[in-house]
Amino acid sequence: MVDWWFWPLFLFIFTLLIGIISPVSGVGGGVLYVPLATVLTPFNVDFIRGAGLVMAVVSALSSVPYLLRVGLANIRLYAVIAPIMVITSVIGGMVGLWVSNAFPGGQHYVKLLLGIIILIVFVIMITSKRLEFPEVRDEDVDSWSRKLGIVGEWYEPSLERIVHYKIKNLPVGMAMFGVIGFIAGMFGLGAGWANVPLLNLVMGAPIKVATATSMLIITANAPAIGIYLSKGAVLPVVVVPSILGITIGARIGAKVAEIIRPAFVRWLVIGVLFLAGVLNIIKGLEGLGYLPHII
Amino acid sequence: MAKEDIKVDPMGLAFGKVMTIFTIIGIILMVAPAILYFMGQNQYIPLTKAMKYWDKPTVDFWKEVKGITVHGYDWIFKNLQYTDCQSMIGVLILMITPLLSMFAAIARAPNKVYAVLLLVASIEFILSMILKGAF
Repeated sequence: MVDWWFWPLFLFIFTLLIGIISPVSGVGGGVLYVPLATVLTPFNVDFIRGAGLVMAVVSALSSVPYLLRVGLANIRLYAVIAPIMVITSVIGGMVGLWVSNAFPGGQHYVKLLLGIIILIVFVIMITSKRLEFPEVRDEDVDSWSRKLGIVGEWYEPSLERIVHYKIKNLPVGMAMFGVIGFIAGMFGLGAGWANVPLLNLVMGAPIKVATATSMLIITANAPAIGIYLSKGAVLPVVVVPSILGITIGARIGAKVAEIIRPAFVRWLVIGVLFLAGVLNIIKGLEGLGYLPHII
Repeated sequence: MAKEDIKVDPMGLAFGKVMTIFTIIGIILMVAPAILYFMGQNQYIPLTKAMKYWDKPTVDFWKEVKGITVHGYDWIFKNLQYTDCQSMIGVLILMITPLLSMFAAIARAPNKVYAVLLLVASIEFILSMILKGAF
């Protein structure tokens, strides 16, 4: 048996590595942290989910101001989506803790569901065709987006010019963001894995705008931290090393992104997601007695 | 047109400025007491005892370690003499940082629709933080 200090040290190194991978792969920290830490550390899934949510929000808080300044994150989209995601992420957080505490073996169901969700993310990441500059014609713009004036622009270095963009399918997107908020709150995920494909593929936002606005939207999950804090599910021994690790790792990752091929890291993350999903499902089934103890 | 020619939403700039300030404050207030906590200073949750039970769900963890049931933020505010509870103040500040940023954005909203949308989000934000104690 190891001393207590081993685990915060492990979490720091573990989140440092996630932080390095995140900026180059476009996958937020929470989606890797929660399933892997659940499997690799002795902490209960409640504490891991609480730390995962704090970590995802802090990562977003750290990067959003810059993304707003350069025009990549769209505050108008956020203003429309935030009222929906704030409420659904809190409901999701309550349901997640309720499942863990109210039912015998509840945490095993949470692990099983988390594994299934992660495998869905895995399929989305493999199949989604990210569009760098989707074409949104004037007639494609829905009436809500038009009335609210949801447009934007940023300077694209690869094109050496300013790119202007418009948004489509706002009502559908709003409904889907409600569902994403619920799942994010329930599993302590940052939801970047779902925000980006939705903004890019459904709403027609350019990939860079989708990624940046996704980070802005993740900040709307912050009230769900209160659910975990008020239940005592945020412990300094878990959350502090994790925050420090991801913050320092993300800075290193931004440098690493310049020298290695992002496609390689993206496939690495897809592999890790698959592994994390399968491991969580196995652990959940083990806990429920459907499988013998194998991991 | 050059990089400097892009038009950035003033509402977004106000939002980002407030977010930067409070994120820095929150992280400092979270990490500084936590360092003392890890060094063994004034621990509300003794680390050596906590490690025996941190694999259990939150309800069982708190019963075993402190003999209490945690509901709301009392466990933090009533024990601010302890370094681990002080560290949670930083987490609370990080949690309300988007709310403070929304207040700043409301002041720079381009029209009433955006002001109302952000106000609704802010009210939901506040209500959710208050209501959570009931569950």
